[in-house]
Amino acid sequence: MADNKPDTPKKPKRPLGKVRYLEGKCIACGDACQAACPFDAIEMNDLGEPIIVLEKCTGCRKCIKVCPSQAIEVFYTPDEQKILDEYYRPVDKKKIAATKGISEWKGVWVFVEQVDGKAHTVSWELLGVGRKLAADLGVELAAFILGSKVQHLIEEAFGYGADKVYIIDDAILKDYRTPPYLHASVQLIKKYKPEIVLMGATGLGRDLAGAVATKLRTGLTADCTGLTISMDDRLLEQTRPAFGGNIMATILSETARPQMASVRPHVMPKPEFQTGKKGEIVTDTIEMLEETILTKILEIIPIEMDQTVDLPSARIIVSGGRGMMAPENFYLVKDLAKVLGGAVGCSRGAVDAGWMPQVHQVGQTGKTVKPKLYFACGISGAIQHLVGMQTSDYIIAVNKDKNAPIFDVAHLGIVGDVFEILPPLIEQLRANNPQLGQESAKAV
Amino acid sequence: MTLGRIVFFILFAISIALFLGNLYRLFALLCLGRWENRFDRLAIRLKNMLVYAFGQLRVIRTKYGFNHFIIFWGFISMLALNSEFLIAGLFPDFSFEFLGSIPYGLLLFVTDIMSLIVIVAVAVAVIRRCFFRPAHIEFNLDAFAILSMIAILMIAYFGYHAGEIHLEETDYAAWMPISSLFAGGFASYTEEGASALTAFYWWIHAGVLLAFLNYLPYSKHLHVITAIPNCFFRRFDFPQTVPPVEFKMGNNFGNSKVTQFTWKDLLDFMSCTECGRCEAACPAHNTGKPLNPKEIVHIGKLNLFSNGRQILSKRPCDTLAGPPEDIELDTPLIGEGEKSVTVQALWDCTTCGACMQECPVFIEHVPKIVEMRRHLVMEKSEFPEELLSFFENSEQRFNPWGIAPTDRSKWTADLDVNIIEEGKPVEYLYFVGCSGAFDSRTREVVTAITKIFNAAGLSWGILGTEERCCGDSLRRLGNEYVFENIARDNIERFRRFGVTKIITHCPHGFSTLKNDYSQFGADFEVIHHSQMIDRLIQEGKIKLTKTIQDSTVIHDSCYLGRYNDIYEEPRNVVTAALGGEAPIEMKRSRQSSFCCGAGGGGMWVEESGDKRIYAERTKEAIATNASTIAVACPFCMTMFEDGVKEENKEQDVRVKDIAELVAEAME
Repeated sequence: MADNKPDTPKKPKRPLGKVRYLEGKCIACGDACQAACPFDAIEMNDLGEPIIVLEKCTGCRKCIKVCPSQAIEVFYTPDEQKILDEYYRPVDKKKIAATKGISEWKGVWVFVEQVDGKAHTVSWELLGVGRKLAADLGVELAAFILGSKVQHLIEEAFGYGADKVYIIDDAILKDYRTPPYLHASVQLIKKYKPEIVLMGATGLGRDLAGAVATKLRTGLTADCTGLTISMDDRLLEQTRPAFGGNIMATILSETARPQMASVRPHVMPKPEFQTGKKGEIVTDTIEMLEETILTKILEIIPIEMDQTVDLPSARIIVSGGRGMMAPENFYLVKDLAKVLGGAVGCSRGAVDAGWMPQVHQVGQTGKTVKPKLYFACGISGAIQHLVGMQTSDYIIAVNKDKNAPIFDVAHLGIVGDVFEILPPLIEQLRANNPQLGQESAKAV
Repeated sequence: MTLGRIVFFILFAISIALFLGNLYRLFALLCLGRWENRFDRLAIRLKNMLVYAFGQLRVIRTKYGFNHFIIFWGFISMLALNSEFLIAGLFPDFSFEFLGSIPYGLLLFVTDIMSLIVIVAVAVAVIRRCFFRPAHIEFNLDAFAILSMIAILMIAYFGYHAGEIHLEETDYAAWMPISSLFAGGFASYTEEGASALTAFYWWIHAGVLLAFLNYLPYSKHLHVITAIPNCFFRRFDFPQTVPPVEFKMGNNFGNSKVTQFTWKDLLDFMSCTECGRCEAACPAHNTGKPLNPKEIVHIGKLNLFSNGRQILSKRPCDTLAGPPEDIELDTPLIGEGEKSVTVQALWDCTTCGACMQECPVFIEHVPKIVEMRRHLVMEKSEFPEELLSFFENSEQRFNPWGIAPTDRSKWTADLDVNIIEEGKPVEYLYFVGCSGAFDSRTREVVTAITKIFNAAGLSWGILGTEERCCGDSLRRLGNEYVFENIARDNIERFRRFGVTKIITHCPHGFSTLKNDYSQFGADFEVIHHSQMIDRLIQEGKIKLTKTIQDSTVIHDSCYLGRYNDIYEEPRNVVTAALGGEAPIEMKRSRQSSFCCGAGGGGMWVEESGDKRIYAERTKEAIATNASTIAVACPFCMTMFEDGVKEENKEQDVRVKDIAELVAEAME
């Protein structure tokens, strides 16, 4: 693995100084200071005043704390004083920024995360917010792509708003591994000096962003929900929930570059794709030998997961509960999910009854979801389920029992029979969108 | 007989030396465990030993237990004559005859009769194991080896006594009716033949007796030696709680090695006879999960023997001390393999305590499971994925669901509830608990309780948003660090508000505040709502004007019944609401109640396997044809409601807390 030492030198240790006796102040209390000294550095004269043996004193200050008459103080040698002054000099962030050459860092970069050549949508969402930041700063918006055989992503990046694309296309970057991706990212960032780098807060992005920020000795704000530019000082304002979501914190990275932030998928809107957009392409190479990387990918075992199960990142979820009455009725939930383009969820009841596999379960012991639309069919809304979905943006609930707790959290509640309400709804949605066809999950 | 005597002497010396060596090694193995004081109140311990080890009170709770009782007492009654037999083998003139001819005759008589009874009992045991073997008893040769040894001993006993009678070598033939009967079998022999046959029986008896002594330590019948002290060192009460952890640098937080258990835990491991009663009662095992409490204990023994022998072999044999903290043991305590407990088994436990209730020799299974969970949670951070949010929520927002703590008093909005202020204490604090405050179904129970308390004119109040989770699930799941913080904080809070008496409607909160918090200096009087309501009814403070007509079945919650011995009060309350009619009992009720599946953190973990514990229990309740299932626990409530829905019985069966029944009867 590449060395992970930070790139800045270490500060000298803060000196502790030594203590001295202030003539005439001793009240000859006894031997409080002498007894307190762990290093036997205090002797007593005939008057009961302390004599400090400087060679032994370590500046631990224990004697000062016990002295009833403030007769001992700390002093520093001129050399020590110099180091101390350095320590306590008021921090002029602007000056530090200037000495670090922060003004040389320009541009907004977005990391294009890809797996098997397929980009994660969070990358395009970040290009959307990056566009706004770049416009406010009056700089270029760039995408940086790492991978193997990923040239086709360049066009996509331009389409989603990048002005420029930095790309390293190398077999060593085929499957994600931290060392080569870290190496490539750091190399690009150091070379081209962008002021802002954004990454998706996905499993891959979280790993890479933390590593890159550590290596570059810069700050990283994870899971941001808002990104804006402070027009006064051109700083990136990174907003994220703190203390369990009770307050929103805005975080600035004043003295280090780049300013790094990660954003979870589906937090930022994905921009419209513009066909035929072009921009500048910068191709770079990675200087790293496969032999130096300890991590080898032997095999990638895909989790057998169809799109209808990717609950945490689904924008729309249609869930069914025990109110669906029988497993064969779940086709209604699946059909509705299909016409809405959403994922299929369910309550613990449906799993326990053996109607749906556990991967679909939403709630305390299942997945916690926060889609744009949560459609609950025949789910009464036991607390175990509610905690898994109640922060969804919009909740529609269909249930026979008007007292069902699901209606306490639903934005739109329909009291009625799912078997009367869902079929015409699915029918209508199909009619609105003829491409969907008539295919149903219903067992024939 | 001189040559015979020399041979016997050698055999005897070797056997006794081996036996004593084995005893010493068992003791050395025990000393590998940590120290725990179980030497207090010796008089009560002695009584426990007499009642449970010699009286076999728990063994004879099942009908075949009586069979064991007979074999045990047969053995005890034969001890005197067997010692005489062994001593006489060395010094032929030795006899207990000096006791007087009548006492000695009686001794012979009793042993003669008991030997026959024991043969019958052994036959019953063999037939049961061959033809009517219940699932919880394994078919293993060990049992047959021991049973045949016992049978051979008895037969040989009759054999040589019959020979003695036939040869007229004894004056006590009249005291041995059974042996006398067998003596007739010698009639066709010559005197030499009869003599040789008698000697043959004598040698068989001697050989088997000495073999038996040395076979014990290597078989599951080790319990013959260990079960009696295990009853002596048992806990005085039901193991209601688990020992606290000292959070200090260098300590281990939970057990990952067998030597981290206390010596009493190790004695537990050695005392198991694999009778399988715990297994038969275990809700997890009954629903096909990997957990089997018997296996946990058995594995503990195998692991101790395997690792312990390794430790002992590497040091001088006169060392009796625990191994160093950082010792590496070859056989892992938790893991795969036949001498390790699987991780899944540990998470399957609902801590319902049925195993500990059933165990005839008072093995404490649950604290051991919790100790191993602690290791997984605190030292390895290895636990079911779904617990992550539970742990985080409990730690940061003081409730399992992560709901805003400020919402805790929302349920009081339309009700007349006093929220206690500092400096204005009331007599009773009603500790509402997380489900009471947040779960919409339990809120109905809390509303009913409010109605009852207000009608009775009780001086009561709640802590409102100052209340926090009690930490029950955290503790059972092994997250002791967070639990301890919560417990200490809660105790401080209660004191700040001048609390002395606490009412809970949740048996988990009840048991935690009452038993677990006392480890951290709490001394509040904790009352379950069943006790409080029962008292209010008895004192006439609340009047039940209506009678509920439903046929009602009652379910005993583990943490109320087994853990705290509260069985009558919930029944009294339901009986009062039913107008004097006692509730229906399920087959498994009171001490043998079957868990709902939510305890021990089960509420927050997905059950393994296909069958659900709650479904099993709900079916049992529904099978009584009751139209109401009465519970006294919010967890049981959730589980039964799910079970009723699963059985599609929502129209016919309702699940009600006992407080709701009373509130209904008050209208």
